[in-house]
Amino acid sequence: MHIKSIVHELREIRDRIKDIAGRKLERRHVHRQGRSHIVPETTVPTPSCPEAVQQGPWANLPPELLLHIIKRVEASQISWPSRRDIVACASICRSWREVTKEAVKTAEQCGRLTFPISLKQRGPRDFPIQCFIRRDTANSTFFLYLGLSPDLSEGTSKLLLAARKIRRALSTDFVISFIADDFSQAGTSYVGKLSRSNFIGTKFTVYDSQPPWDAAIQSNHKSHGRQNPKQVPPSVPSGKFSVATISYELNVLRSKGPRRMHCNIRSNPTSAIQEGGTAPTPTEFSRISVEPYLSPLPLPASNGKKQLNEHSSTSCKLLKSTHGAWDPLVLRNKTPRWHEQLQCWCLNFRGRVTMASVKNFQLVAALEPYQNIPTTEHDNVILQFGKIGKDIFTMDYLYPLSAFQAFAISLSSFGTKPACE
Amino acid sequence: MATSRKVTLLSSDGESFEVEQSVAVESITIKDSIEEGSAGNPIPVPKVNSKILAKVIEYCKKHVESAKAEDRVDDEDLVAWDADFVKVDQATLFDLIRAANFLNIKSLLDLTCQTVADMIKGKTPEEKRKTFTIRNDFTPEEEEEVRRENQWAFE
Repeated sequence: MHIKSIVHELREIRDRIKDIAGRKLERRHVHRQGRSHIVPETTVPTPSCPEAVQQGPWANLPPELLLHIIKRVEASQISWPSRRDIVACASICRSWREVTKEAVKTAEQCGRLTFPISLKQRGPRDFPIQCFIRRDTANSTFFLYLGLSPDLSEGTSKLLLAARKIRRALSTDFVISFIADDFSQAGTSYVGKLSRSNFIGTKFTVYDSQPPWDAAIQSNHKSHGRQNPKQVPPSVPSGKFSVATISYELNVLRSKGPRRMHCNIRSNPTSAIQEGGTAPTPTEFSRISVEPYLSPLPLPASNGKKQLNEHSSTSCKLLKSTHGAWDPLVLRNKTPRWHEQLQCWCLNFRGRVTMASVKNFQLVAALEPYQNIPTTEHDNVILQFGKIGKDIFTMDYLYPLSAFQAFAISLSSFGTKPACE
Repeated sequence: MATSRKVTLLSSDGESFEVEQSVAVESITIKDSIEEGSAGNPIPVPKVNSKILAKVIEYCKKHVESAKAEDRVDDEDLVAWDADFVKVDQATLFDLIRAANFLNIKSLLDLTCQTVADMIKGKTPEEKRKTFTIRNDFTPEEEEEVRRENQWAFE
């Protein structure tokens, strides 16, 4: 009897030691600031032996109660890295995943980034999401972080996207990825790319890896002629949907003056910034590989009307029928004012940009009177980008842009050639 | 001074609990059935067994007493008492959540759900599965999506 209890105690001590060791590892794992790749256990394929794993009562917790619990987790884990707890909740099993996705609002609604899809959702309307970009010149790589700046967000910044500049024979691409060291366009980490479409470096096209539609249209598309990825011929360039074009114009009157920028964002309608207007928001990545019906955009004309090509394709009809007359959103850079005393061009970056650079810009909507947009929107800075240090730039974006769009537009600032600076 | 009315609650396994009406009506479900006159005597509480009902009554008693106390310092004591109250095994916690939901006792539901939320924080998905004994039932496609999300989140 005596020996049995000693053996039992020893076993308990052994288990406790294992626990403590496990918790220490976990703490180290949680406190790491994401500089190294930590691939969590879910990547290890677990053999599915349903009979072997007896489910506890929690597996049968009614969804409304689970929602109650997960909402509490979401409300307390506001910033990174603790926000990864919510991603973990969505990784447990199907019911938890469903409930977690329901509990978490879109980036536009809550102003927070939670899942990778958040990077393709519109930003909030009332306040910008503040990020910074770190340039690694040696490797032609750019890293987008959520955070005020490397100094101010020490330990709490979150790597959102990475981009690599790839020079080809006839063009230069910035390939954008979710994963810092994987820039393959065929993989699941591929987000999209910015392509410089002319030699002198004044015109760019943004491509998205996913069709820029909302879930309603996607499910429509799925039910009307579902395309099995296996049936798509290999020659079809899937994963390449043109969503925006950016053009730079030299200031011909003053050779040292600020250049002009125009962005034509096909996946956002101008109606998005009307009173009560909305823009489509993806809530999940589409799994279907769809033939890209959308051809590259024509360059922005001076007249904002009828930018969209008159395609007869199903997808364009769906877009138009759901959103009515779709005027793509056109953004232009805010004209700096000349400061006579300082003898330089100035923009009010509200403290977020601290170094002079020709790359710095603020984008506002370029509007026509017929578009009926309230005057408060005319000067609303939708995207702001500028230098704060050697190889460090801030990037703040608002509705109706997404993090991906904002990053791609900002990258074009690095893609222009010296001839137009 | 009004005489304190008592009611009898009957657990699912047939045990009776006599409590002050002011304590019983912490449960909106019981309060509504008393007001509608459909309560019966004793009041049956079908989904809650005696062990859990005893705990629920203990919680409600404490909270009713604290509300009566004039000394506001008791708030901190109440928080500490609540923290001790939920130091129970998982099965009891699970049953308390379900009971609080069925009986519609908001503060108890909030307390128990917050306790579970705190258990969830800081754990990897596999640790959470172990803690709550939940099986991974994702399809290979879903698993791939989950893997990608986690790779990004933990980068």
